[in-house]
Amino acid sequence: MSKREGGRYPAYVPEYPRSWWLQTGPYRRFAAREITSMFAAAFSGLLLLFLVALSRGREAYEGFLRWLKLPAVVAVFAVILVAVLYHMATWFRLTAHIQVVRLGRKVLPRSVVIAGLFGTWVSASVIVGYFHIWF
Amino acid sequence: MGELRTDNMSLGDILDESDGREVKRRARGAGPRREHRLRRLLRPEPVFWGLFSAGGFVAAFLVPIHVAILGIAFAAGWLPTRALSYERVQHLVQLPLVKLYLWGLIALPLYHWAHRFRFAIYHQFGILRWKRFIAVACYGTAIAGTAISAWVLLSI
Repeated sequence: MSKREGGRYPAYVPEYPRSWWLQTGPYRRFAAREITSMFAAAFSGLLLLFLVALSRGREAYEGFLRWLKLPAVVAVFAVILVAVLYHMATWFRLTAHIQVVRLGRKVLPRSVVIAGLFGTWVSASVIVGYFHIWF
Repeated sequence: MGELRTDNMSLGDILDESDGREVKRRARGAGPRREHRLRRLLRPEPVFWGLFSAGGFVAAFLVPIHVAILGIAFAAGWLPTRALSYERVQHLVQLPLVKLYLWGLIALPLYHWAHRFRFAIYHQFGILRWKRFIAVACYGTAIAGTAISAWVLLSI
C-alpha cells in the first residue's frame, strides 16, 4: 500500500506481487477459470483452418483430415476439451449462485439449477452431434 | 473537492468515479470531468461485454461437443466414414443457416477471449499501462477474426 505524491490529492495505489494469483487456493481457481476461458478461442482458430482447407478443394480438405489424426494434434484437442469442460462446469456452478430461480414462493435449490443447466448442455450436445454426424 | 461520500452512490457512479481518478492525472483547476455526448452514446464497453457474454454462452454449451467430435472422435475412428466426407461437409456448409451458425461458433468465442485476455494482461502479467492500446489490440484481433471467418465462409 502506498500513496502517489504530487497530485491534487494522494491517490491510493495498492501494491501487490505479480504472482498474487498463485498465492491462495481461491486466487488460483479464479485464475484457472480466467485462463481456461481462452481455450475456446483456440478451437475457433482450428475450426477456421478447417474451413479454409474446405474452401481450397478436396485435396486440401483431405490433407487437413490427415493432419487431424496426428497424435500431437489430438493432444492439443484433448487439452482444449479439458479446459473447456472445466470452464463450463465452473460457470454452471457460479450461475447457480448468482441466478436465483423462483417458482411462486419457493426458491429452487442450487443443485436443481445446476442439473437444469447440465440438462440443457446435454440436449444441445445431442442436437449438435446429430446434425454433425448423422443428419 | 470535498470528501467523497460513497454511501449514497450507485455502483456505476463509484466505478465511474474511480475510473476518472485512475486514467489520467488532471490539470490543476480543471473543471469536473465531462464526456462528449457522442462518446457517451457510442461507448463500446457494453457492446464488447455483450459479445463477451455471448461468447461464454457458446463456449460452454456448444464448443465441447464440437471439440469432442472433430478433435477426438474423428481421430479415434468412432465416426461413420460418411460423417466428415468432403461431399457431405461441402454440402452442409453451403446451407446459409449452417454458415451463420459456424460464423457465430467461430467469432463469439474470439470476443470472449479478447475480453479475458485484456484483463489477464492486468491480472496475470501485472502490466498496468497502455490500457487503451491493449484494449484496441485485443478487440481488434476478435474483429479481424470475425471478418476473416465471414470471408472464408462466403468463399465456400
